[in-house]
Amino acid sequence: MSATQPPAPQSDTIELAIPCRPEFVGIARLAVLGIASRMPFSYDEVEDVRLAVGEACSHAVERAGGASAVIRITSVIDPGALMITVADDVPAGAASGPRSEEAQLLEEVGVDQQGLGALLMEILVDDVKIEAGPAGTTVRLTKYAPE
Amino acid sequence: MTQKKAGPEWAQDDAETLFARYARTRDPHLRDRLVVMHQNLVRYLAGKFVNRGEPLEDLIQVGTIGLINAIDRFDSARGTKFSTYATPTIVGEIRRYFRDKAWSLKVPRRLQELNQTASKAQEALSSKLGRSPTIQEVAQRIGATEEETLEAIELGNAYDTVSLDSKMMHDSDSAPLSLAEFVGAEDDSLQTLEAYGDLDQAIESLEPRERAIIIHRFFKDMSQAEVAKQLNISQMHVSRLQNRALHQLKRLMIAER
Repeated sequence: MSATQPPAPQSDTIELAIPCRPEFVGIARLAVLGIASRMPFSYDEVEDVRLAVGEACSHAVERAGGASAVIRITSVIDPGALMITVADDVPAGAASGPRSEEAQLLEEVGVDQQGLGALLMEILVDDVKIEAGPAGTTVRLTKYAPE
Repeated sequence: MTQKKAGPEWAQDDAETLFARYARTRDPHLRDRLVVMHQNLVRYLAGKFVNRGEPLEDLIQVGTIGLINAIDRFDSARGTKFSTYATPTIVGEIRRYFRDKAWSLKVPRRLQELNQTASKAQEALSSKLGRSPTIQEVAQRIGATEEETLEAIELGNAYDTVSLDSKMMHDSDSAPLSLAEFVGAEDDSLQTLEAYGDLDQAIESLEPRERAIIIHRFFKDMSQAEVAKQLNISQMHVSRLQNRALHQLKRLMIAER
């Protein structure tokens, strides 16, 4: 589905905006748990979507490095698919704060956390599009309903 | 897995060198070393799945199986980074672990148990504090994250709408109930099933909503509209889940023979 198309008439849109801070990522995950449960997904698939959105949000938090920012999560429930957009307004090259312990552990084995996160999201949902711009990053996640 | 103290000559080599050497020699000690070197990756990925009620150590063990498979199959000459190659395998192994668990009973039970634990904690804290405790206080007391606590409180009651032990199925006085009797013309494929004794087990292994729908529709004789209302989902959703459940039951029953 193209980003420029408006949602189909029979779809529902849910919007959530959270401060770009770690303590709010859990709230986004809980909301997405409820949202994804509206789809005919199995429990495992619902958890996959929840994890993918949590990842996108955590990466925004990491990128913000303590600077003030907002994450907007827009979910579109469609009979055929669930589309969730995670958009932050973290400016490119924001002063990154101290690397998280996790990120450090990964660097030790030459792993880039952001790249790994993108890969993880691709495993969990059917389609991932990431647009990183000077004014922020937008992640579009799509999971199709089973036939 | 112990690391050799007076190491072999490759002990200080980096991963890339080790992979190349392992591809040639298939030395199991080399493989052990590679596994240890990438434990952080497994730990990181396994950590993503901790909120689902399985101990981290178990998830790490499962993830390590995926890591070992990836190490065995990795071709460093291809130019892909190992972490890029291994991640789907590690994550795949962990996800399969959850799928294969008899989770249809585990999931609602886990939430119900956590819900009960949270309720008791709420009561205990209320008397102790002389006021209603905050979610943070409850979470701290039961040793869960705030998110888990909220989830348990919110969802732990949801599964009460369907009794997990359908009395009708275990009623020894009446003849075993047959889905086909209720389904009739709706699904011809079910009429070919003969192993109805396994139907019990097959229904038990459905995921909670699908099981709820089968029970409501075929044992409690509710219409799709009534079920939709009961479960607070759309009728279309009920229809889709019902079809999935029936297909799943058919698959399971045929596999049983």
